[in-house]
Amino acid sequence: MRTIRNQLASVNPIALIFYGLIVWFIVAFLIYPNVNIYYEIFFKDGKFSLDAAEKLLSSERAMRSLYNSFILAVSLVFTVNIIGVVLVLISEYFDIKGAKILRLGYFTTLIYSGVVLVSGYKFVYGENGFMTKLLAGLFPSFDPTWFHGYWAVLFVMTFACTSNHVLFLSNAIRKIDFQTVEAARNMGASTFYILWRVVLPVLKPTMFALTILIFLTGLAATSAPLILGGKEFQTITPMILTFSKSVSSRDLAALLALVLGLATLVLLTIMVRFERKGNFMSVSKVKSELVKQKINNKLGNIAAHILAYFLFLIYIIPVVLIIIFSFTDAHSISTATLDFSSFTLNNYLFVFSTMSAFKPYLVSIAYAAAASVAVVALTLVASRILHKFKNKWTLALEYALLIPWMLPSTLIAIGLIVTFNMPRLVIGNAVLVGTVWMLFLAYVIVHIPFTLRMVKASFFSLDSNLEDAAKNLGAKPFYTFMKVLLPIILPSTLAVLALNFNSILADYDLTVFLYHPLYQPLGIVIKNSTDAQALADTKAVTLVYSVVLMIMSGLTLYFVYGRKSRS
Amino acid sequence: MITFHDIQIKFGHFHAIKNLNLHIKEGEFFTFLGPSGCGKTTILRSLVGFIAPAGGQIMLNGKDITHVPIEKREISMVFQSYALFPTMNVYENIAFGMRVKKASKAEIDREVRDIAQKVDLKEEQLFKKVSELSGGQQQRVAIARALVLKPSILALDEPLSNLDAKLRVQLRNELKNLQKKFGITTIYVTHDQEEALTLSDRIAVFNNGIIEQVGTPQEVYNQSKTEFVCNFIGDINKIDPLTIMNSQLKESIDPNKIAYIRNEKVSLLPLPGKEAVQLRGTIVDQEFYGLYSKYVLEIEGGGLLKTIEKETGFSRYKVGDKIGIFIHPGDILQY
Repeated sequence: MRTIRNQLASVNPIALIFYGLIVWFIVAFLIYPNVNIYYEIFFKDGKFSLDAAEKLLSSERAMRSLYNSFILAVSLVFTVNIIGVVLVLISEYFDIKGAKILRLGYFTTLIYSGVVLVSGYKFVYGENGFMTKLLAGLFPSFDPTWFHGYWAVLFVMTFACTSNHVLFLSNAIRKIDFQTVEAARNMGASTFYILWRVVLPVLKPTMFALTILIFLTGLAATSAPLILGGKEFQTITPMILTFSKSVSSRDLAALLALVLGLATLVLLTIMVRFERKGNFMSVSKVKSELVKQKINNKLGNIAAHILAYFLFLIYIIPVVLIIIFSFTDAHSISTATLDFSSFTLNNYLFVFSTMSAFKPYLVSIAYAAAASVAVVALTLVASRILHKFKNKWTLALEYALLIPWMLPSTLIAIGLIVTFNMPRLVIGNAVLVGTVWMLFLAYVIVHIPFTLRMVKASFFSLDSNLEDAAKNLGAKPFYTFMKVLLPIILPSTLAVLALNFNSILADYDLTVFLYHPLYQPLGIVIKNSTDAQALADTKAVTLVYSVVLMIMSGLTLYFVYGRKSRS
Repeated sequence: MITFHDIQIKFGHFHAIKNLNLHIKEGEFFTFLGPSGCGKTTILRSLVGFIAPAGGQIMLNGKDITHVPIEKREISMVFQSYALFPTMNVYENIAFGMRVKKASKAEIDREVRDIAQKVDLKEEQLFKKVSELSGGQQQRVAIARALVLKPSILALDEPLSNLDAKLRVQLRNELKNLQKKFGITTIYVTHDQEEALTLSDRIAVFNNGIIEQVGTPQEVYNQSKTEFVCNFIGDINKIDPLTIMNSQLKESIDPNKIAYIRNEKVSLLPLPGKEAVQLRGTIVDQEFYGLYSKYVLEIEGGGLLKTIEKETGFSRYKVGDKIGIFIHPGDILQY
């Protein structure tokens, strides 16, 4: 009894309010909507029914989209892994001339992704695109409307989804003890035997994790099938989006989202299992650094160089063309022709001087800033609790905060829509659908798991003696936190904040479900400009948006990763 | 067996090895000893074939192997990290080289089990992950993996440097026993003089890309050819010129040259032989090491000398004692 009372006495009232807020947030926004979605599907009129499931099974479009998503996910597993491994081998393992420049090209997917990337590819390869014109000029029988459907989606997503390979697989390959490669050479193994038997097996766990991520990305693909899929290739998320727009089919949208969620859950469970089982541990205590391998076979060497530069072109062409055409007038953009006289700075002047053109920026920046600050604040408090106490309640807290990690963002969005479209007691009987708050909440929710993991990691790497020392010198907990702990974890926290800000800025996949029609964020505006009927002026503005977004991401990545790796 | 003839190795403008000539005999345990960056690993790697020399020849049993590919030299290497493949178990690690050579399954199995037994790896350890083995077992796997190919030479690149002190001594003995058992010509690279002295038949001391001295451990230690060698190996006194000038020593050695004497050869007890010179001095410092104590002596006439005395349990000397000090002029090294 005494200990409980002591504990209560030692907790100050401000902390208690914080704890209360966190619990309320978790219940209201992480648990309630995601549980309520089952109720909306299966207990629509107060009693259990499988109507929604029947409707789904009898809807040919819906079943078709499920099938397409599955096909896309499976195809991507192969194409992305192949391209990803080739990229990493070219930039890290083999001795390819100009690897530094090549790598810059392969890294371009880090500075633009999602809707910006897809719209960029459509701009370049679409009906009036520069590359389509070029190809049509070379091959007279070339069909200018070629770039849509399964192949177009697969093409774009294959090259768009290699970012994780470039980041994580490169890291894994750099960790290989080069002495193992030399040992294999000493025993007579050839370049490709070594690659197959010594190098690739070490990469297997990383590739397994990446494969699951690719599969999930393929299943939940949004912007690529929406923009390039055309009528013939619709996948789950675009279908959910369509269904969620009308009240009568909202249960279908919810059920489809649930299917997606289930698939995600199963795959992530497999992944966690596999990771926990562990695979192997490097036994090398003194590693030597990987030395790039020369390809001794002359033909093989030439082929590798050609492949390397061909891939480089694929990666770099959309970026270069987006940048070039952002400096040209509407005529050039709509006809995909380049002329010295058509170069102009007007697009940039227009965006930064006209309120209507600049508004999407303001909206996105406001959302990104507010949500990323909120999510960091929330996770800081949560991490502090997790760091300070260790019991079943904190364990529950941690798991609750990781819920969004296991759910696709589409499911979260649908959960929010079907839950908060009527007054709910848990949020004081307010209706959130149709307000600007929906999107803000969704951004916060989706970014909690990643932020929590990073912030928590930096909390747990703190020297515990620091806190004791501060206590010993007479500092109160809050003072210790502000003056001693926070300054130490601030750099990594700010880095997470910047990454979150970036990813929210150009988000489309989540935004499209929840945005307020009067406050359209960048992602929506960029997507709309890819429509066939969009004006050339709109396209010009979109190009400017894209370039500025690329610059912002590039700078963020440089400040977060670039400088760290140098020091 | 192995002859290096005028070997030169360059990395860009850096001249790593300058005109190296060396002969290694069949069955010998030969050590390349030197500080880091002296070129010892470089020359080993050129022997194995990872580095092509810019000039000179490497002869193996009378044949020029300078430009023979790595896998055709029949030289197996044991790496500093052991370079065991983490994704394969012990058996697969040992079998790797034979699989590359496309040996038959039965042959591989026979050879792998045979060599595993010879290096004292137990049957049940063969199918363990390499990460589940202790440091000593890992070393034995690395050696078995190298020996299963029946190389004519075994090249070891600092295989003990990533272990803690106690294990290092234990594995050192194990390594020596294995080498005796197989009788294979072994080239061993290390920066640890104790390893070099205890293991080797002969030692080559490297510095800045050149060989300073080649000889047996006793020769290298007692008759260090150069100032570098005598400083690099063991503890040594640089004798103050004042000590020489103001004592009998000036009659037997040249006071204008730099003179050194090993710590343990400065004696506090009279030495046999007529040549022995007696100095007088005072103990100014004592450090107790358990097995022995180290004393610093201030010599009458100038200069300091260090010496060690085995601790027999009777502490005979203490700081401030005035004592006689005995030196054999023949033990003095001059450069």
